[in-house]
Amino acid sequence: MSGDTDRVEVTVGEWPDDADSDEGVVVNWFTREGASVTEGESLCEVQIEKVSLDVLAPADGTLVEVVCGEDDEFARGDTLAWVSPA
Amino acid sequence: MAQKEHSKVIERELTMSRAMVEAIAHEMRENEEVFYMGEDVADYGGIFDSTQGLLDEFGYDRIMDVPISETAYLGAAVGAAQEGMRPIAELMFVDFFGVAMDQIYNQMAKNTYMSGGNVSVPLVLTAAVGGTYNDAAQHSQTLYGTFAHVPGLKVVVPSTAYDAKGLMHNAIRDDDPVMYMFHKRLMGIGWLPAPDGPKTPVPEEDYTIPFGSADVKREGDDVTIVTLGLHVHRALEAAESLADDGVSAEVVDLRSLVPLDTDTVVESVEKTGNLVVVDEDYRSFGVTGEIVASVAEENLGALDNVERLAIPDVPIPYSRPLENEVVPDVADIEAAVERTQ
Amino acid sequence: MVSVSELQEMYVDMVTARHYEERLQEEYLEGKQPAFDISAGPIPGELHLAAGHEAAAAGVCQHLRDDDAVTATHRPHHVAIAKGVDLERMTAEIFGRETGLGKGKGGHMHLFDPDVNFACSGIIAEGCPPAAGAGLAAKKRNTDSVAVAYLGEGAIDQGAFLESLNFAAVHDLPVVFVIEDNDWAISMPKDRVTDVENGAQRAGGFDMPGVRVDHDDAVAIYDAAKEAIGRARDRNGPTLIEVQVHRRMGHFMGDPESYRPEEDQEAAAERDSIARLEADLQSHGVDEETIEELRDDAHERVEDAIDFAKDQPEPDPSAAHEDMFVNPPSGVTDTEPEYDLAGGDD
Repeated sequence: MSGDTDRVEVTVGEWPDDADSDEGVVVNWFTREGASVTEGESLCEVQIEKVSLDVLAPADGTLVEVVCGEDDEFARGDTLAWVSPA
Repeated sequence: MAQKEHSKVIERELTMSRAMVEAIAHEMRENEEVFYMGEDVADYGGIFDSTQGLLDEFGYDRIMDVPISETAYLGAAVGAAQEGMRPIAELMFVDFFGVAMDQIYNQMAKNTYMSGGNVSVPLVLTAAVGGTYNDAAQHSQTLYGTFAHVPGLKVVVPSTAYDAKGLMHNAIRDDDPVMYMFHKRLMGIGWLPAPDGPKTPVPEEDYTIPFGSADVKREGDDVTIVTLGLHVHRALEAAESLADDGVSAEVVDLRSLVPLDTDTVVESVEKTGNLVVVDEDYRSFGVTGEIVASVAEENLGALDNVERLAIPDVPIPYSRPLENEVVPDVADIEAAVERTQ
Repeated sequence: MVSVSELQEMYVDMVTARHYEERLQEEYLEGKQPAFDISAGPIPGELHLAAGHEAAAAGVCQHLRDDDAVTATHRPHHVAIAKGVDLERMTAEIFGRETGLGKGKGGHMHLFDPDVNFACSGIIAEGCPPAAGAGLAAKKRNTDSVAVAYLGEGAIDQGAFLESLNFAAVHDLPVVFVIEDNDWAISMPKDRVTDVENGAQRAGGFDMPGVRVDHDDAVAIYDAAKEAIGRARDRNGPTLIEVQVHRRMGHFMGDPESYRPEEDQEAAAERDSIARLEADLQSHGVDEETIEELRDDAHERVEDAIDFAKDQPEPDPSAAHEDMFVNPPSGVTDTEPEYDLAGGDD
């Protein structure tokens, strides 16, 4: 983890069981930086191999930084964004 | 643009498919008589994500997978609608219309008229349309003109998530048959990347966009580009680049072909004097000719120059350079606009 | 009884088709990883591969001549290979090249090779009526050619199929309808779309023989097809055959198959008609070395076809406007005869 105590990372929770690849791509962001988010709301959609997954907000708060933009590739465990809890 | 009418700032953005699904889910919660039938719409969630997640909430009885029998299930949708239910039936690809054409052209479209208005067919027929991904002649058509041609069908073509949701609410609540034609390239599917533009802020509550209200997606003074579906975004990109050259283009998104908002188009042409119609359907006997003729009938004198861009009357070829040749792109639109200046 | 040389021919068709699909899968995924963009890479668009279907092609087409017509489906490669379609030009078509079967206009679901009377269609069951038409032509011309229409088990609920069965039956046409039952119509298992146990039962409603081959054993399919095609050639009317096959590569490349139980995928992977045919060959005294040689040659032919295709030029964009009509747009003749027609003015 980041050691950053006042913000929570947004990351792919459960990597698909049947995926051989450790890489994915961010397909769509549904929230922009600075927007308020609710825990469990879908923040973005990623594609891992052929499977699409929604990545959910880890806490109520504000989406303070998008690390991995649309069409960006990321690896398993990477931080996609940061949420600053309310 | 219509979004500006809302006083509250909408932060949440949705893809077109999610906006469509949200409207369908809302209507299904409100009205038990709404149900969805189609091929691979339940477990798969729609090949183009048109029903993603609906099975979980509504179950197999209301999100119905059907046999590959379009005549039967589209016809059954007509019958259920005539009984007063509000079915939504999906053609996986609009190209598959042919196997069920009688039910669409001779039953769904005509029963209201033939009954002297005594029978209504409150049915939404959704269909994935469009090319640009090399799926060749039997899986890439839009066929806008085919369905707008026969009297009796309302024809809707969203280009953004905001429009998709409002038009879907309106379609399901409409008492007449509505063809809801969604472009695959705009849905925001991971494996078929959308251009920038169709993903928009979308209010969480329900709202309707009336049919027959074209939307001026960009204002301009020198030329009117009239288009729909995917080509709204190509036209906007062309307009952006034309602006650098000092040409101010207005982009009119028709949003529905039936009813057709001729007034908005004519008003725009009266301002700019130049009309470019861009369509992803075949050129002859289609949308481009219809728009030009409608403007000419209303105000021939307003037309200084007219250009039509469409599929040049060939089936859509498979190979990438061939498909790129026949589907109008941004450069083609810019060139057509330049010819009017 | 099937001869050893016929077994070998079927084996070659099947290993060619299997390797072809495996290699196309590799080529197709180029440029589509890690993000799967269907329009990217050397082979764009949908790609429906037939790994697991090979026996249904080899066992039937073994009995066919070049003049016999075959209509295949959106999943056509294995049938095309067994029918003897020019492999290089077919591959060039799939790569969208100028020298492809359709000059890059058709693509993988729309392959036409008139030299061996092969065609296919991307629309479910729509190859059935043209196959009936080929049978009708053979009957009218009094030849002994036959026609074979392929379809999937998901297509047996489609009007084009049912109407064609009746048309072929009532006119005693030399047509064989071959259902490849791979259990899945995209995401739909067959028990959710039809109440009959198998597609061959559809034949009963049309007073036509219906045969079900319960496993994708090339020899069993060969035997069933031999009888059906013989019946057609002898002008004793049509037959419906259903063959169990297996879908090993999803409905199309990019299909996540998340709707499909893992056991089912595993079962499809385990059943291998090619291994079974190898055992048949061995029991007929063909040694392992010979089998290996047949397989290597087949693989080499596939590699050659793919190399050929990739070497071919892409079509010139202007070609998109050609080939709309065989006759010039104005018609067969460009002059209208002059007649003095009476009563034109009343």
